[in-house]
Amino acid sequence: MSLLRSGSIPWLLAHEMRLGFRALTGKRAMGGVGAMIGLSILALLMLTGGVIIGLAVRDLDVPTLPLSAAIALACCATAFTLMLSQTLAAASEALYERGDLDLLFSSPIPPRTVLFVRALGVATGVLTVFLIFVTPLLGPAIFLGHPEWLGLFGVLAALALLATATGLTLAMALFKLIGPRRTRTVAQVLAALTGAAFFLVSQIRTIMGEKASESLFQSLARDAAEGRVKIPPIGYWPLKAMLGEPLPLLAMLAIGVVAFVLSGLSLGRRFADAAAAAQGAEASAAKPAKGRDRAFARGVFAATLAKEIRLILRDAALLSQVLLRVLYLVPTAVILSRNAGHGDGGAALAGGAGVVVFLAGQVAGSLAWITLSAEESPDLLAVSPAATRSLRRAKLAAALLPVVLLLAAPLAVLLWLAPVTALWTALGASLSAWSCGLINVWHQKPGKRADFKRRRGASWFATLAEVVVSALLAGATGLAVAGLAQWALIPLGFAGVTMLALRRSDAQIAKVLRMA
Amino acid sequence: MGACVTEALIVRGLDKTFSKPAVRELDLTVHPGELYALLGPNGAGKTTTLRMVAGLTKPDKGAISIFGIDALADPAGAKAITAWAPDEAMIYDRLTPLEYLEFVAGLWNVEPRQAKARALELLETLGLASEARRRCEGFSRGMKQKVALAGALIHDPRLLILDEPLTGLDAASARLVKDMLQARVDAGGTVILTTHILEVAERMADRIGIIAGGRLLAEGTLDALRTQAGQGGGDTLEDVFLQLTADGAPA
Repeated sequence: MSLLRSGSIPWLLAHEMRLGFRALTGKRAMGGVGAMIGLSILALLMLTGGVIIGLAVRDLDVPTLPLSAAIALACCATAFTLMLSQTLAAASEALYERGDLDLLFSSPIPPRTVLFVRALGVATGVLTVFLIFVTPLLGPAIFLGHPEWLGLFGVLAALALLATATGLTLAMALFKLIGPRRTRTVAQVLAALTGAAFFLVSQIRTIMGEKASESLFQSLARDAAEGRVKIPPIGYWPLKAMLGEPLPLLAMLAIGVVAFVLSGLSLGRRFADAAAAAQGAEASAAKPAKGRDRAFARGVFAATLAKEIRLILRDAALLSQVLLRVLYLVPTAVILSRNAGHGDGGAALAGGAGVVVFLAGQVAGSLAWITLSAEESPDLLAVSPAATRSLRRAKLAAALLPVVLLLAAPLAVLLWLAPVTALWTALGASLSAWSCGLINVWHQKPGKRADFKRRRGASWFATLAEVVVSALLAGATGLAVAGLAQWALIPLGFAGVTMLALRRSDAQIAKVLRMA
Repeated sequence: MGACVTEALIVRGLDKTFSKPAVRELDLTVHPGELYALLGPNGAGKTTTLRMVAGLTKPDKGAISIFGIDALADPAGAKAITAWAPDEAMIYDRLTPLEYLEFVAGLWNVEPRQAKARALELLETLGLASEARRRCEGFSRGMKQKVALAGALIHDPRLLILDEPLTGLDAASARLVKDMLQARVDAGGTVILTTHILEVAERMADRIGIIAGGRLLAEGTLDALRTQAGQGGGDTLEDVFLQLTADGAPA
């Protein structure tokens, strides 16, 4: 650090990198040996997939055709919306999180330096997430005969920079337009909507009457074959950049860098002012709660349930995290009902039911993780005479209640149109939600709610276990809906065995919590 | 300990070691209806002692009895008649004071109608009535401390344990809290508090315990402590405290 000039961008960047590295290698972040083994297996599986893909496409030359250009554009748009979802959420959260921002803004370091470095951190974080998934899949293909595909990494970097600049500008614009109190919530909701944009567009096509069996890709391929896809020359840039053509690649990188530098340097002062205005703004402008004459809840369960529901509803960051899953869950459930209404085939119904069951588990798992692990005042609960089991039951109920409310209407319609499918789906969704909730009871990772932005602090093991169990139950439900109830017993059995393996006794949970 | 069931708190042979010993062979007795101040330098073991009494930290050795209830054998029974308020307020930023008190009352199973009436009364007494329905997130540290204190009092505990209760309070709020505690003691309640403000202990405490290095160095009324400190002790509690902690400081 001493080699760098104090207060300069590289100096502050080195400081941030050191903090980031320590956070990454901290005890909590590492998540234990089990998690590392699990992640290594996952990485190995992805790499194996990458090698298979690499061998399969060894002699493939991607043609520069309207269809391939359109696919490249669609991929870029999808990646960009997913990145923007993250950068918008991160940029708006950065305004409200105090951390060391007060220290930095009270120092003589120019605000633009602070913002530039913070923005670089956001862009790096977003890019890293994509690289983690893309590298094992694409790396082998690059080594096995397509070095020019390295261009894809450049395109991802350009998109990450552009998404960060856009996210930052949007957050600042929201702050100016709707003020500090609403920006946080609106930005989080917008981030979730942006993240699910492509899925929602495709689902809306289906809901509005397009053929359920035809995907967006098939529709695009059909249009291209019929010569209806017209791409302007600039539209070929992403494809050419991905294929390593220097000029389009440099052009895309230049666009990303210029947008990033301009936003980072020009919004610095505004960011500092907004961060100062955001402090306490939500609270000071918050209206007094309604229901003055409502009676107090009776007993531990009711009081804890009321508290958890209130905290869930008032947490903007959590809202974004769960909303993304809800945005996948609700349209899928609606389409399931629609397919049943149109008398669409068993496969569509079975698949839809499976997806609903899987997503119900994911939403419940996310909420249970927050209600059970993120407790602001663990000491208050510990000094109270309330039984731990009562507290846990109430927290679990608070996590399951929103899932019940979200699925009630679509499942009621489904019950009318296809009663057997509805019953299997309801049973599967209940089991999935309950199982994912229980996994979070058994594998709690206590911490402050403020530290629980996204699932960074969550147990990798619990997250993976939730995915596995809800996927098995989804499979079982799908098979049951397809009329193969006896075959459904196989994934159901596996799910049961997994749950038994994951189960922890009260004494084991207490021991882990004491060590945390 | 059966012979001393009427004592508010009896601690015998309490031991706790983390990476180094925090509390060692500690004996403590607090009588019902008294305000007991536990004083000591930073790291003396005050908070660890009180956390063990409140049931938050498990002692390695020793016994704790609260109004005759063995706190280690029957923690729920002991917790039902105890309240603990640390220096960092145990509240939820996104709840209003009234919602917070509703939750705390639920934890202690207070009858809802009675709890609501008491919550409103406490908030009124603590000067928080106008803020009762606003979320705590914008509150000052002092206001949060007062909300937490209301939470500690909502179930009318027989033993109130306060760790640095005046931290972050302005002069008026500090006076208010001191008056509340005095009124509680006058009404027969028992209060144990730690404080670094020796003037508070000097003026309010019936008895004072001085702890250093995890051991109780001296205990008694201010006069008794003066006697224990001997000739070099001086007149004020500050003089006595400095003399005793200097004499008894662990090597």
